[in-house]
Amino acid sequence: MNKLRIRTVLAVGIISAFVVLVALAFASDQPVPADSQQYLARALGETGASNRVAGIYLNYRLLDTLLELLVFSVAVLGVRHYLQQSEGMSLPALSESEVLQTAVSFLSPLALLLCAFFAIFGHISPGGGFAAGVIAASGLLYVAIAHGMKATETRLNPWRLALAEKAILLLLLAFVLVPAAFGKIPLSDLLPKGTPGQLLSGGSILIYNILIAMKVFIGAWLVIAAFAQHRGEL
Amino acid sequence: MIARWILLALLPIVAGIALTQSRRLSAIIGMGLFSFMLAAVYLLMHAPDVAITEATIGAALVTAIYVLAIRRTGRLIVVADEVPSLMAREGDHITGLEYEILEGFAREIGLDLSVRFVPLRRVRWLIAHHEADMGAGGIVPLADIEGSLSATPTHLKTGVYAFPAGKAPLEAPDKAPDYEGYFSELASHCQNGTLSTVATSLDLARVLALSRTGASLGELGRVDGAFGYAFLVGKRRTELQRDYVDYLHRLRTSGRLDDMIGRYFS
Repeated sequence: MNKLRIRTVLAVGIISAFVVLVALAFASDQPVPADSQQYLARALGETGASNRVAGIYLNYRLLDTLLELLVFSVAVLGVRHYLQQSEGMSLPALSESEVLQTAVSFLSPLALLLCAFFAIFGHISPGGGFAAGVIAASGLLYVAIAHGMKATETRLNPWRLALAEKAILLLLLAFVLVPAAFGKIPLSDLLPKGTPGQLLSGGSILIYNILIAMKVFIGAWLVIAAFAQHRGEL
Repeated sequence: MIARWILLALLPIVAGIALTQSRRLSAIIGMGLFSFMLAAVYLLMHAPDVAITEATIGAALVTAIYVLAIRRTGRLIVVADEVPSLMAREGDHITGLEYEILEGFAREIGLDLSVRFVPLRRVRWLIAHHEADMGAGGIVPLADIEGSLSATPTHLKTGVYAFPAGKAPLEAPDKAPDYEGYFSELASHCQNGTLSTVATSLDLARVLALSRTGASLGELGRVDGAFGYAFLVGKRRTELQRDYVDYLHRLRTSGRLDDMIGRYFS
């Protein structure tokens, strides 16, 4: 009990200090760094994406994003590999209440719709592939909680999903190398920029967002499925 | 601007509340709330992309994964044989002395009580195989407790009765269809002719239930010795055992245990 109190005091102290720091940063009138000003001024014209954040991480900093995806893939691979070694438990399925099942049947399609919206409109409004993928994985997780892992897995074969996840990564890597075939620098954007604010704008960002959403969705779901198998029925 | 300051001031308060919750589910919900408020702060700071990520990962996915993680660890899973007045279904809820004791104990250690009714012999198996935390339902710890199990201190005195060999009422299981699994052990022993051995472990509650079936109990005799009802716990669950012993001691010294017994067995 005493230990808990010390930990609580420590944690509240750290969070308070953090909040005070953030508040001070708010209050002080610091100049915005020159680079970011430049990015803000040029991003719209150069990337064609009215969401500047998407314009930066899927155009100027595409290599960083690809490496981030690679890290995510390695994490998924690691979790699946190490959890497959240990034997899964066979526990009786827990039945869930009708309230939860009804709520899930209402919420999961909504989550998938939101995923599609964030992925498709990620370059013109806040969102993007990463958030979209996580939303879809959460939606599927709710389905698994309400209807059981086994029922969900019979519809989504983990082996095929793992294959699809790797295929998407390969497709992404191949896509960024296409400019090299035309004598351009790899990672450069060949597609037309379009009118900012239109659906078909921002060059390849729309394609990246959709592929990343699919990849993150499958990856996050595979990790959850591996944890569930290891621990037993969800 | 004011909303931003209010949210910033509330963040450490919500974090403190989440950290000090003894019930794990409340702590997780507190953490989810913290994430939501942080997302609101990001939104007010004109960073909607970061806000969306914080809300989807912090408030939705991580919260759901934590809820999954505590679905087993956050519950006190009790497997029990159904015994009237001790642990029995009544309509859509469970009632009885043992249920009340365990419910209070679960609340005290910050867990949700989850009771599953199984036949008596499955109780021991499930505890021994770590698929449940405690076993209940009129368990009298006799000398034959297996190596991987241990019994808690008794919470209610009882008597143990035995039939002379071959004199057990073979028709009893057929006459008691009300309690699922209640006489399952008796039934299997009836079939293979070893009823006399299992009948020796009939405790008072089961004798009473047996008498309600209309079975002849004329030959039944009380076994000498002091017996009591207890719960079964895995031998390695020392922390759970210690917590329970403390809880039962407090329940006994405060007089609340006697009140409960009075309510169910007056």
